[in-house]
Amino acid sequence: MHVRLISLKEMEINYERTVSVLNENGNVNANLFVGYNNSIQVKAVSAEIYNKSGELIKKIKKKDFLDVSAVDGGTLYSDSRVLYTGYLPVEYPYTVKFSYQLKTNNTGTVPSWSFIDNFLVSTEVSKYSIEYLDPSLKPIILEKNLEDFPIVKKSLENGVSYQAKNIAAFKDESLRPSEHKIFPQLVVSPVNFYYEGYSANIKNWKDLGNWMNSNLLKDQDRLDPATVSNIKKLVQGLDDDLQIAKKIYEYVQQNTRYISVQIGIGGLKPISAIEVDRLKYGDCKGLANYTKALLNAVGVQSYYVHVEAGSDKVDFEPEVASLNQGNHVILAVPYEGEYFWIDCTSQVHPFGFLGDFTDDRKVLIMKSDGGEIAHTASYINEENLQRTTGYFELDEEGGFDGNVQIETKGIQYDQHFWLQRGTKTEIEKYYKNYWSNIDNLFIEQFEFNNDKEDVVFNENVSIKSAKYAIKSDNRLVFVANAFNNPQQVPRRYRNRKFPLEVSRGYLDEDEFRIIIPNNYGIESLPDSAHLETKFGSYSISFESKDDGILVKRRILIEKGTYPNSDYSSYRSFRRNISKLDNSKIVIIKKS
Amino acid sequence: MNRMIMVVALVLICRVQVEAQNLKFGEISQQELLEKEYEHDKGAHAVILYKNRDTYLQSSGGTNHLITEVHERIKIYDQLGFDYATKEINLFKQRHDDEMVRSIKAVTYNLENDKIVKDELRKDEIFKTEASYNYNQVKFTLPNVKEGSVIEYSYKIVSPFIWNIDEFRFQYDIPVKKLRAEIRTPKGFRFKQTPKGYYAVFPKTTTKRDNRIGMDVVINTYNLEQMPALKAENYVDNIDNYRSGVIFELVSIELPGFHRSYSRSWSDVAKTIGNSDDYKNKLDKTRSFDDEIDSLIAKHSTKMDKMNSIFKFVKDEITWNGMDGKYFFNGLKKTLKEKKGNAADINLLLVAMLRYAGIDANPVIISTKDNLVPLFPTIDRLNYVLAYATVDEKQYFMDATEEFSDLNVLPIKDYNWKGILIDNNDMVWKQIDVASPGVSSNFYALDVDLNEDGTCEGSCKTRFDKHSAYRFRKTYKEKELESYLTEKEKSLSNIEIDDYRVEKADTFKGSVSESFNFYDDYGADVIDDKLYIKPLGFLCLDENPFKSETREYPVDFGYPFKDVYMVNIEIPEGYKVDFIPAPTVMNMPDKVGAFKYIVAQNGDKINVRVNFEINRAMVPADTYPLLREFFKQVIAKEEEQLVLSKI
Repeated sequence: MHVRLISLKEMEINYERTVSVLNENGNVNANLFVGYNNSIQVKAVSAEIYNKSGELIKKIKKKDFLDVSAVDGGTLYSDSRVLYTGYLPVEYPYTVKFSYQLKTNNTGTVPSWSFIDNFLVSTEVSKYSIEYLDPSLKPIILEKNLEDFPIVKKSLENGVSYQAKNIAAFKDESLRPSEHKIFPQLVVSPVNFYYEGYSANIKNWKDLGNWMNSNLLKDQDRLDPATVSNIKKLVQGLDDDLQIAKKIYEYVQQNTRYISVQIGIGGLKPISAIEVDRLKYGDCKGLANYTKALLNAVGVQSYYVHVEAGSDKVDFEPEVASLNQGNHVILAVPYEGEYFWIDCTSQVHPFGFLGDFTDDRKVLIMKSDGGEIAHTASYINEENLQRTTGYFELDEEGGFDGNVQIETKGIQYDQHFWLQRGTKTEIEKYYKNYWSNIDNLFIEQFEFNNDKEDVVFNENVSIKSAKYAIKSDNRLVFVANAFNNPQQVPRRYRNRKFPLEVSRGYLDEDEFRIIIPNNYGIESLPDSAHLETKFGSYSISFESKDDGILVKRRILIEKGTYPNSDYSSYRSFRRNISKLDNSKIVIIKKS
Repeated sequence: MNRMIMVVALVLICRVQVEAQNLKFGEISQQELLEKEYEHDKGAHAVILYKNRDTYLQSSGGTNHLITEVHERIKIYDQLGFDYATKEINLFKQRHDDEMVRSIKAVTYNLENDKIVKDELRKDEIFKTEASYNYNQVKFTLPNVKEGSVIEYSYKIVSPFIWNIDEFRFQYDIPVKKLRAEIRTPKGFRFKQTPKGYYAVFPKTTTKRDNRIGMDVVINTYNLEQMPALKAENYVDNIDNYRSGVIFELVSIELPGFHRSYSRSWSDVAKTIGNSDDYKNKLDKTRSFDDEIDSLIAKHSTKMDKMNSIFKFVKDEITWNGMDGKYFFNGLKKTLKEKKGNAADINLLLVAMLRYAGIDANPVIISTKDNLVPLFPTIDRLNYVLAYATVDEKQYFMDATEEFSDLNVLPIKDYNWKGILIDNNDMVWKQIDVASPGVSSNFYALDVDLNEDGTCEGSCKTRFDKHSAYRFRKTYKEKELESYLTEKEKSLSNIEIDDYRVEKADTFKGSVSESFNFYDDYGADVIDDKLYIKPLGFLCLDENPFKSETREYPVDFGYPFKDVYMVNIEIPEGYKVDFIPAPTVMNMPDKVGAFKYIVAQNGDKINVRVNFEINRAMVPADTYPLLREFFKQVIAKEEEQLVLSKI
């Protein structure tokens, strides 16, 4: 890719890509498409296809490309479009040569560059260069993860170029760090630029925050006087800022919904609070800005926040300020020296609880005196708690009747609390899958309690199985751990390449009673066990008590990053756990 | 599988017809706004309170248009129902003709302080997108939608495509409280209307003079109440087959001085398609294929060998572009030149080549599973064509679009229904049965060395034929070997696989086999001085795929199969057999499923032999409880453990 910054209001992007596809699975990497919108013009686009002997077999011109709208499900309208062409290969290998030229007035979002395209794609040459015709257009370039790769950097007269050669393909692996941490990339940030009608001079995050405040956010938070007086009425009688913020967040959750409309500058600028107030819908920017306006109307301060959302934790780069970092907007409410974070697009999350979508990462908050990097709330190890208690009573046929209570906090709360909004069919399906270790499961009854104040979710479920224990002669054999037995063994890799990463960690504590039929006695109880590793610990115990057996289990998996060589020991730790979770009890009919 | 009978039987369950008056836009009751849940489906997130659809022809300035007016009122109970406040209207376009939407009106009603408050959609909140080359999309979402809101909208679609009447749908993924639909067609234009789905609805038919087009019109009105939501389930061939609705097709025009029949019987349909240029003129005209075909024909002496080699040639040479079709996309010439084409290009080329080689071959038109089952003679509902040949009085169906299909082993999607034979040369046009998938035989042999610590090692050999082989080959090819093996290990209770070999995975002929050595950490449970082991080890079926207690739609297995398992377990030295599970034989009524299980000791070995059969590709919904119970008992038996103890 060659980027030319011609003037403050003129950028040209020249892209060329040659890919040899070796077999059918590689067709997705031919990538014969280019995206554009009302501010980006596709000046040229073409593709050529070569067969395995290198002969040109097909030329695809601009007019042969299909032009379609690129709108996803949650979006009502967007001017994003894509030009694409599908080529159906008739033999392998084949080679495609694809090129395009884009022109735009927006010099504010210079494309970043990734030297590796995808897993299972080798890179022969990957080149990025940027040229600026005026020294004031010189951007800041952040180099990420370049160290371990053969990448050569060269200064040009008015620019710089990077070239990578011969990077062999990587295979994807589970429990690896995100691509942002392992693949070589360039993040390019212009200092002086133009964006949708606004000029900017940005050297750091403080400048970027000021630019946002004085241009894109300015006056967007005005409200109708009627709305202001309504909202004042709503919080009447509350004097604590946090209680007021909570009340207003709940009001927004109950009265708005997420709908995205993106036109032109809509990509970064929120629609006005007055509009959201009338329509009662908006995208992340619109809803965050609206909530901020409501809070402002009752004298509670809050900050507009840019964040990169997703279950992979991706940080903003503290040293390099740019508009193209982040894909989501949330709010930060300062209270007694600490931030409470809220995502206004969620109609269900408790106040101050982010879940795994935006937790534990560096974000940009817009304060009145400029931007500032801050860190969102994290949920680590013991904070992600699940406590399972209950009992089951076996009958002579091997079936049981039982009751289970599950309490969840932190990220585990985030994974469970949707249940309260599920339909009966959805919930039953969920449990049948959750307890897939129990055959012929029947869900008799369930009841939930969502404590939004302390962020705790409680499930109380009565279940039945027509056949759980296996009959052998006059014995019944069954797995003691019926209620929390996910059997998660990570995949085996014959040759693990990437480091192992556990990004959040969790703690499960389980305790339940097994009641056995009157005329049966315990023939065999498994030994209790305790495992202690650097990845966490596990223990399980079995104790004969009164008319039954008491099972206690505790598993703590800790957040951490470990070298690739540790993967197999982590796997064997999980295998041992899974084996111990399968420990069986034998009971025998008294004669 | 006689699906037609089943559908006919279901048609008997009718919804109650009620005489309903058109509800007026805006006449919303407080009651509707106050309602907290739908009494007939308490979990529903939203309900269509009322839907009215009117479709009719209109003439203006010498051109005819098909007009469809829609009025819909929806109650939203909770946040998960908010999606129904956004409406998408797809408008088709073709060259210079496009469908248009007019007079969009939409209002949200909320109750605030016991008063009904209205919020109207504004013009600038309606978005039109040129979605793709053949359709535009108009989208809008209603303002101020909350839990409990009622929304209402109406619009009118003006279409230049007057013969294309969209299916009338009576069932949606939310319940319908009241629905009225009306279609007015000029008297001389006969439209066949066929109800479909579980809940059949029949119209009330009247005739009257329509002054707008100056003709008598036939009016069909459908009224219904309380239509339940269409619920998705696993293992369904195509849920739209079960969606309640009505399909329209023009069958004839009978006007004074003008008579034309379009399609009535299946042989009419066959004749109409047979008379199209693609079938009439192209199939026998191409007399100059590649020289390769000549040499292929010359090389083989029997017709069977010739057919097999031509079938392979087409499969190897021509790539399927993923498109269905009963008519050419490229045409034979271009298909041969570019080496790719749609289903019609490929399979009609095959027919043409077979005929060229002197084989009695003809096209058979079908409707694939992802399409609907055609319930009445229709051209529009057929979407695909197969090649069909008779050699030595035996019939062969072929589909050369997929790499691993074979003679009479078609991709599963092809087995949806009967087919329409187009034999122009012998003047035979009729409906025929597509040979249903044969029984796939699967063979598993396991040799197990059991260790005292409960671990096992050994070897496994398997062999699959017909559709099982087809499926195996496809899965095997989709991934590179290492990820393939990783997934295989995971699906086989986390065993470790070594020395993995496959035979005949890259051809489409005959059976495919694999062999590997394994190490199984969980082979047996060690409890005190006893070993507990499942006789089938990691091949044991351990989860019932049929979890829900009831089912409304048939279960689609794709094809019938017979599994045979032979396992030999070596008894570790110093151990004796305490308990061997009793032999069992189970048969479902009508031989839908069968299970035979024998475990026996033979010296220092345990021999296990298990047969498991499903003899129907499609099992009707009323057999579901039996099927579920059958799986339950098979699993219970396979989970029984044999017990060894230390001497």
